[in-house]
Amino acid sequence: VLLLGIDTATRRVGVVLASTNGVLARVEIGGPDTSTPPRHAEILAPAIRYACAETGTRLDQLSAVAVGTGPGMFTGLRVGVTTAKMLAHALRVPVIPIPSLDLFAYPLRYARSLVVPAIDARRHELYYAIYRPVPGGVQRISEYELGTPEDLSGELAARGEEAILCGDGALRFSDSFKELDRVELASPAHAAPSLSALAELAIARYEREQFRPSAEVLPIYLRKSDAELAWEHR
Amino acid sequence: MKIRSESAAQTRQLASEVGALLERGDLVLLVGELGSGKTTFAQGLAQGLGVTEPVTSPTFTLVHEYEGRVPVAHVDVYRLDRVQELHDLGLEELVDSARVTMVEWGDVVAQALPGEHMTVRLDSGDTEGDRTVTIELHGPRWHGRRSRLDRSLAIFPTVRDRSD
Repeated sequence: VLLLGIDTATRRVGVVLASTNGVLARVEIGGPDTSTPPRHAEILAPAIRYACAETGTRLDQLSAVAVGTGPGMFTGLRVGVTTAKMLAHALRVPVIPIPSLDLFAYPLRYARSLVVPAIDARRHELYYAIYRPVPGGVQRISEYELGTPEDLSGELAARGEEAILCGDGALRFSDSFKELDRVELASPAHAAPSLSALAELAIARYEREQFRPSAEVLPIYLRKSDAELAWEHR
Repeated sequence: MKIRSESAAQTRQLASEVGALLERGDLVLLVGELGSGKTTFAQGLAQGLGVTEPVTSPTFTLVHEYEGRVPVAHVDVYRLDRVQELHDLGLEELVDSARVTMVEWGDVVAQALPGEHMTVRLDSGDTEGDRTVTIELHGPRWHGRRSRLDRSLAIFPTVRDRSD
């Protein structure tokens, strides 16, 4: 099995090449630092090319393409999911969609507390979900949510359980959580979805043939408003 | 503040002074009827931001990006009808702490944008080329720059409100 994985749900553009034996290459550009604008569209294809070139991989050797489907940055997801679907379609290989929030939680599955990834959704909002470690992985015990840092802080306070918060949104709004003495903030090493987790989870799903035709794969969008714009004098 | 401009060239010069004060993360909403000079003002802002490429109207292309002393995005939402199209355009994410974003017809989409921004309203006057430019600063990010803006624009004739 040779797998290409893509995750662009945050400001970080992530590409991973992996086989059953583990990761062959991981390219990550961008992160929680906001001094340069996100450039998913410009970075992703060259990052894939670089990962392939440096590992001597040809695209026609790929068995599947995995992609983080968010929820997360709208423009990033569009670039990542479209690229994954286009590559899979052209190469006649399946797409393996995995929610990006799951990719934060999986590497923290050894924790003895809840794991709560939160992606910065702009406009003082977060995309988040709550996970409980179980033998062999994590189990999601909430919906994929869109809410303010105060919403999440309130929810964690109400649960009253030990929790680890991770993700660029948790880092950005760390002040909203510092009053919660049972909640710990993960380091910036956990600011973006884990590419190793993407490879590991996707290869396991590939081997169980849990994949989808590329046309059926869509990003997870949580903002649904479609009101008309209030034009008065156009 | 309200300033009188008598020509497109003057509007551009005025806008260039404003552009020189803009910083990463700033959002400018350009407001006014068709032909009131929103794109002209955007061209001046871009000039003040150190953009040397020609700045053209994004009415049909929706977003143009430039590199000045900071990255600049120039957006026109005139052709959009629904909130979903703002999401499709990624408008909320274009407004980023790393760039300056200027939005033509920005008042119509203000609901989707941060409340902290500069509004520039252009109103046509009695004669061809005559414009009243009204600049409003919203939010604490402008606090340190209000007096610098006043000084930069002191060379232009101000318009007194009737209530003054």
